[in-house]
Amino acid sequence: MPIFVVALSWLFTERELWAHFSTVLLPNLISATMVLLIGVGLGVTLLGTLLAYLVVMVEFPGRRWLEWALFLPFAIPAYVLAFVYLGVFDYSGYVQVWMREVLGLPGFDIRTGPWAIILTFVLVFYPYVYMMVRASFKRQKINIIEAGQLLGASPLRVFFKISLPMARPAVAAGLLVTLMETLADFGVVSLFNFDTFTTAIYSAWGDFRSIEVAAQLASLLVLVAFFLIFFEKKARGQAKYYSNDVSNKKPYYVLGFVGWLISLFVFCVFMLSFAMPMLQLIIWGWASMGEEWSVKYVDLIISTSVLTTLAALITVSIATILALPSRCKRNSPWLKSLISMATLGYALPGSIMAVGLLYGINQVSAISVYFGGQSINHIIFGSIALLLFAYVSRFMAIGYSSIKASAEQIKPVFTQSARLLGASYLRLIWKIYLPMMMPGVLAGGLLVAVDVMKELPATYLLRPFGWDTLAVQVYELSAEGLFERAAIPALIMVLFGAVLMLIFQLLDQKSSKNL
Amino acid sequence: MLSVNHLSIVYQTTQVLSEFDLSLATGDIFALTGDSGSGKSSALRFIAGLDEAQSGRVILDGKQLSNNGVHNIAPELREIGMVFQDYALFPHMNIKKNIAFGIHYLSNNKQKARIEELLLMIGLEGVEKKYPHQLSGGEQQRVALARALAPSPKLLLLDEPFSSLDKSLQEQLVLQVRDILKKTNVTSILVTHDKREATIFADKVGMIENKQLTIN
Amino acid sequence: MNIKTWAPSTLALALTVSSIGIAQAKSEDSVTVYSSRKEHLIKPLFVSFTKDTGIKVMYLTGKSGALIERLKLEGKNTKADMFMTVDAGNLWYAATQGLFQAVQTQTLESNIPSHLRDPKGLWTGLSVRARTIVYSTERVNPTDLSTYENLADSKWAGRLCLRTSKKIYTKSLVASMIYHHSKNRAGDIISGWVNNLAAIPNAKDSHIMNAIVSGQCDVGLVNTYYFARLIAQNPNVPLKLFWANQDTTGVHVNVSGAGVIKYAPNTKGAIKLLEWLSSAKAQAIYASLNKEYPANQNVASDEVVSSWGLFKQDKMNLAQTGILQADAVKLMQIKGYR
Ligand SMILES: Nc1ncnc2c1ncn2[C@@H]1O[C@H](COP(=O)(O)OP(=O)(O)O)[C@@H](O)[C@H]1O
Ligand SMILES: [Mg+2]
Repeated sequence: MPIFVVALSWLFTERELWAHFSTVLLPNLISATMVLLIGVGLGVTLLGTLLAYLVVMVEFPGRRWLEWALFLPFAIPAYVLAFVYLGVFDYSGYVQVWMREVLGLPGFDIRTGPWAIILTFVLVFYPYVYMMVRASFKRQKINIIEAGQLLGASPLRVFFKISLPMARPAVAAGLLVTLMETLADFGVVSLFNFDTFTTAIYSAWGDFRSIEVAAQLASLLVLVAFFLIFFEKKARGQAKYYSNDVSNKKPYYVLGFVGWLISLFVFCVFMLSFAMPMLQLIIWGWASMGEEWSVKYVDLIISTSVLTTLAALITVSIATILALPSRCKRNSPWLKSLISMATLGYALPGSIMAVGLLYGINQVSAISVYFGGQSINHIIFGSIALLLFAYVSRFMAIGYSSIKASAEQIKPVFTQSARLLGASYLRLIWKIYLPMMMPGVLAGGLLVAVDVMKELPATYLLRPFGWDTLAVQVYELSAEGLFERAAIPALIMVLFGAVLMLIFQLLDQKSSKNL
Repeated sequence: MLSVNHLSIVYQTTQVLSEFDLSLATGDIFALTGDSGSGKSSALRFIAGLDEAQSGRVILDGKQLSNNGVHNIAPELREIGMVFQDYALFPHMNIKKNIAFGIHYLSNNKQKARIEELLLMIGLEGVEKKYPHQLSGGEQQRVALARALAPSPKLLLLDEPFSSLDKSLQEQLVLQVRDILKKTNVTSILVTHDKREATIFADKVGMIENKQLTIN
Repeated sequence: MNIKTWAPSTLALALTVSSIGIAQAKSEDSVTVYSSRKEHLIKPLFVSFTKDTGIKVMYLTGKSGALIERLKLEGKNTKADMFMTVDAGNLWYAATQGLFQAVQTQTLESNIPSHLRDPKGLWTGLSVRARTIVYSTERVNPTDLSTYENLADSKWAGRLCLRTSKKIYTKSLVASMIYHHSKNRAGDIISGWVNNLAAIPNAKDSHIMNAIVSGQCDVGLVNTYYFARLIAQNPNVPLKLFWANQDTTGVHVNVSGAGVIKYAPNTKGAIKLLEWLSSAKAQAIYASLNKEYPANQNVASDEVVSSWGLFKQDKMNLAQTGILQADAVKLMQIKGYR
């Protein structure tokens, strides 16, 4: 529905303002956004895949806990990480002060050029790729790899010729999610003062009060997202890889010096993306504990939990239904486009999506009033249904891609044998599809839950009274420059995310034990 | 008991089968051979109701299951069992649940009795609690057979069930499975490209040549 | 699978819970406030108000633009009695959208000077915030400083730090440049600023001050309460405030304020709250919570704030910041002020 509203905007153009945007801002925005997407895309693909490969295929010191720890950065909101990075690495941060005073190097503005922001996004978003590719590597039969080894292939060759091609759908899925998240981001780009499409949309709406131009720009964004989805489909290719052997045996044992080198590398990524920001948050949080901590956090935690749980359950249920392998050979094209539409919401910035929703509901109300009915605005605005709807639309893509990936692992032969054993479609879903998709469903649920927990703009706009979340609290404090106090809700969020991941880990081990 | 008539299968532009006919009596064990790619699996999949065809009729036990290449009765209602080349045991279920899958409508006690009976028959008592990946290839294949036989199908289709096993195991298993089928008196079609295997196993051997069936 | 069976019932439960919230909001002796002023700055006031009057205050915080959209859409069915926000531009815009009703009472007129109120009484300023020059005491001689316009002079090349043009404070300041001069002259000033920048404009005022301390730049523009926060943490910081434009137009000031919603379910309660907020007691808390200047002239500023001395304020009618905001943004976008 928001997409629909956005598309309609082209009918009502404001020519003068559109001209200002298209001549003054757009040329730079397009190139800047492209550079950002390409840089972030390359970065997360390399880092996420490499890390996933290392933890799944190689045994090295400390692997067991690093494999788990590498998920953790995902629990920190992107803007919080960006904030910490700026504080640590920019001109006045510890690192540059040390470099100037001890090494005598000149200082510089790390926000110049796209490098710093690309690196930030990579460190923030690599867990998407890591998570999906890791699951895919885990499903690769060890004997396929061993066959490659026995044929005399070097580890590098095995990686490029066997492991990577087989994980391609997962890489593509993780990449898609990352790029859409990057497109929709507002927090990180604001902190770096880096102009993207999203910035322009906010300007059109906030400065020029033009919902129309904002929606026109948003529709361009959706167009980009459309291309991304299209390319992802292409990248997945026709190939389907079915494999159901999970083995904890690692094809490569690297102890000795190289093993420690690998440990060091993985550990550095973990330090940079999680431990260092956490340390900073803990230092801040410690200083402001007495001032900030109060019983209101009980409320914040409850509303965050309820919203997170409900949104994840609804999203995952719908995504699962959409992703179920169809019993016939082909999905109808109608269904396919419906799914594409449902997943596009991920590329829309949260507040644009939220405003689109408000407008849509207002239109429905207007129609209802026109026919002598009542306005439904106040009913809808006062309930969490609207907020949940926004979450579901926005995060459908991420739930869906994870679940779809696991549905694609189900060999047709399982469907066929179950049917020949007399299973009805419902029984087929219940006994075969759902259990076999469960790892993907859990992963999707986790990703959605953590994303909902971190979500700010839609929550901020659409929440009813008394539904403040931890993310809202982080924003309110940090927007006023009270970073020390903002560290408290941020830390609780990370803790929350860590608990979610722990639950996920346990369920995942259980459900994928025999798959 | 089973009759297949006028079966023609075309993929895109290549004709795989043309006017294929086959009829079997109750309890027959039939082996279907032919070169790789000659359309053996395609024929089985049509009989099972999994894929449609250009033309073809299937009558089983007096019931018309398919006509004009279209299926009147869905696979799950056909009472046809099938054993696949790579067994297709459900990886998330233990052996007991795998075998029970097709007979869930029976009471627990009856299910249990049937499973024990089948496991005894295939010589694998006591594996109920194990998961498929904990069994060897030959064992998995026998479980797949037990699973297919559990609901007492009218017709059993076996698509190269022995080809991924090693030679010595193959010989042994071919005879064992034959005995089981004889004991249960189920009408069966075995697809294999191995002529020797076909003659050991079956009462009647047919071969696909020039898109049609010739019975030796 | 319990996912399926649980989801609908939990959802129903949550919806019920949230509708109870609505029911409470409608009760007679409570006032509902939509506020873009953050929770920690308003909650202590509301608690005190409830203690004084027995009237409960419900509040919902959010971003100004988003709350205005929401109020517009809620229309006659809104539960909000009052909208509170920062920046006169936002108040002005809410007024032009017909969200407010006129409120002119004796209490308000005697408590708040007229230039901080809307002429028709649609909104009332409740605190004053000043945006002025901050400089490094180590590298800048204050006699070199004079005006905002002067920071465009090439002697500040590579020495200036500014806040992003996306922040409302910058937009209002530039609007005042357009108002006092002309679009052309304002454009030249912006170009001069952009040329003098030592770094990409910062996202936060606190970043500007950090940059000056660490030597990345020498002068910048900040809202005074950010400076107050910094010296509270680090009294010896080598920075000082300089009151800009004292010989010309005066320091650029802005307000935070509130208005009573046109379709307020509880207009009486809202007016009572507004009057209470303008009282000496509330004003002392209101301004000092955020180290701003009280709008009520009978109330003394916070100790730290008064230590910076008195200054001449820009008397431009604050509605101008709203009227000229779009022009200001366009100008900055054209001149490449990020
Ligand atoms: N789904 C399909 N689409 C296109 N061609 C197919 C398909 N399935 C089988 N074929 C082709 O039909 C021919 C017969 O296949 P199949 O019945 O599997 O042979 P067999 O089992 O005798 O080896 C082969 O040439 C194969 O390539
Ligand atoms: Mg075959």
